[in-house]
Amino acid sequence: MLGEAEPQWLSEEVKTGTTIIAIEFNGGVVLGSDSRVSAGESVVNRVMNKLSPLHDKIYCALSGSAADAQTIAEVVNYQLDVHSMEIGEDPKVRSAATLVRNISYKYKEEMSAHLIVAGWDRKDGGQVFATLKGLLTRQPFAVGGSGSSYVYGFVDAEYRKGMSKEESQQFVVNTLALAMNRDGSSGGVAYLVTIDKHGTEEKVILGNDLPTFFDQ
Amino acid sequence: MSRGSNAGFDRHITIFSPEGRLYQVEYAFKAISQSGLTSVGVRGTDSVVVVTQKKVPDKLLDSSTVTNMFHLTPRIGCVMTGHNADSRSQVHRARVEAGEWKYKFGYDITADVLCRRLADISQVYTQNAEMRPLGCCMILVAIDPQQGPVLYKCDPAGYYCGFRATAVGAKQTEANSYLEKKLKKKPELSHDRAVQLAISCLSTVLSLDFKATELEVGVVTKDKPKFRTLTEAEIEAHLVAIAERE
Repeated sequence: MLGEAEPQWLSEEVKTGTTIIAIEFNGGVVLGSDSRVSAGESVVNRVMNKLSPLHDKIYCALSGSAADAQTIAEVVNYQLDVHSMEIGEDPKVRSAATLVRNISYKYKEEMSAHLIVAGWDRKDGGQVFATLKGLLTRQPFAVGGSGSSYVYGFVDAEYRKGMSKEESQQFVVNTLALAMNRDGSSGGVAYLVTIDKHGTEEKVILGNDLPTFFDQ
Repeated sequence: MSRGSNAGFDRHITIFSPEGRLYQVEYAFKAISQSGLTSVGVRGTDSVVVVTQKKVPDKLLDSSTVTNMFHLTPRIGCVMTGHNADSRSQVHRARVEAGEWKYKFGYDITADVLCRRLADISQVYTQNAEMRPLGCCMILVAIDPQQGPVLYKCDPAGYYCGFRATAVGAKQTEANSYLEKKLKKKPELSHDRAVQLAISCLSTVLSLDFKATELEVGVVTKDKPKFRTLTEAEIEAHLVAIAERE
């Protein structure tokens, strides 16, 4: 064997092959994500929290290239910090989503990241925005990442309007568990963030506490 | 020792006069007094307070839109004295500097660093011919994570310093002497005493009995480290307490 080849994961881009989801309920939003970060076939972080704060009551879920997604989140966090000081109150969720979308659209050729922005503000309550490839659209719920393809059927069938906070949290956990079971690039633990007018609550659900389905 | 004139421009732009003075900078200080307002800041044992007059000269003005107190970050607040437009420009710059620091270094800027940064920017204006210094003075307040309550001031000359108490504006000399006298014995100032000292300083020096609508009070305390301005009712309570003590 003439010289060992460099391991593949050293040259692979670090992606958060992921499952992310955000859903609006009456009075707030719930965001959820898995925790696996992969570089090719190798898992480089099995406990990464992909739910990143943009402001006190606005979070975003990261997917795609880890570096691109984190950078967008950090830049928008900085912009919202100054913006909220200037306007003298908490920023609107739509403002945060627009800032994310503007960066995603401007750099759509160079970057590959999809952020779902969700939060609560005084004007429109809980809102979820998808910003895939530089569009901006408000949706009752949004899924993203490589694992989302496996659960479109589940979310489409199971989503009902007007769910309570607890039902929404259960819906998110079930979706994440199903996607993490089938998608090789998703796994680890489930992170949940619930935002409503009273505050923001972060929760972790460890692997063995995730819901199980027919094959377990 | 005047060695011929500097073609007489030393009063017009920021270059040295033959006596070594920067006239433009001195004029900037005079501009601060032009507004006719005075502001006072007092540091207590576990809180910092800034007080300023709220003068609404025109009956048609909506007084809820008139303010000299600003948030720079959720935990750092300031009171601006002097030229209104220059004040807003400096406040905006401070907000952006604080935001950039957090983005670049990953943690919240502290009041002393922010004050130094603004003072350094003001210094540049004293060296550039094409820009004039800003005619305003900023008093910053915050609860520093290491040092506790802090009170900083930066002026058009680019000088900045931390204070136990300070005053800026039309009656700053009288106000500063009042504060010196009251703080000579280094008393322990509770939050309420600090607020009342600042308000008394203003009323003594201006010979005015204030109504709650004529004052703006901004505070940070160790239990509530976010900068906030007191409501009319809270100011009224302090005014009553001052009256009862006399």
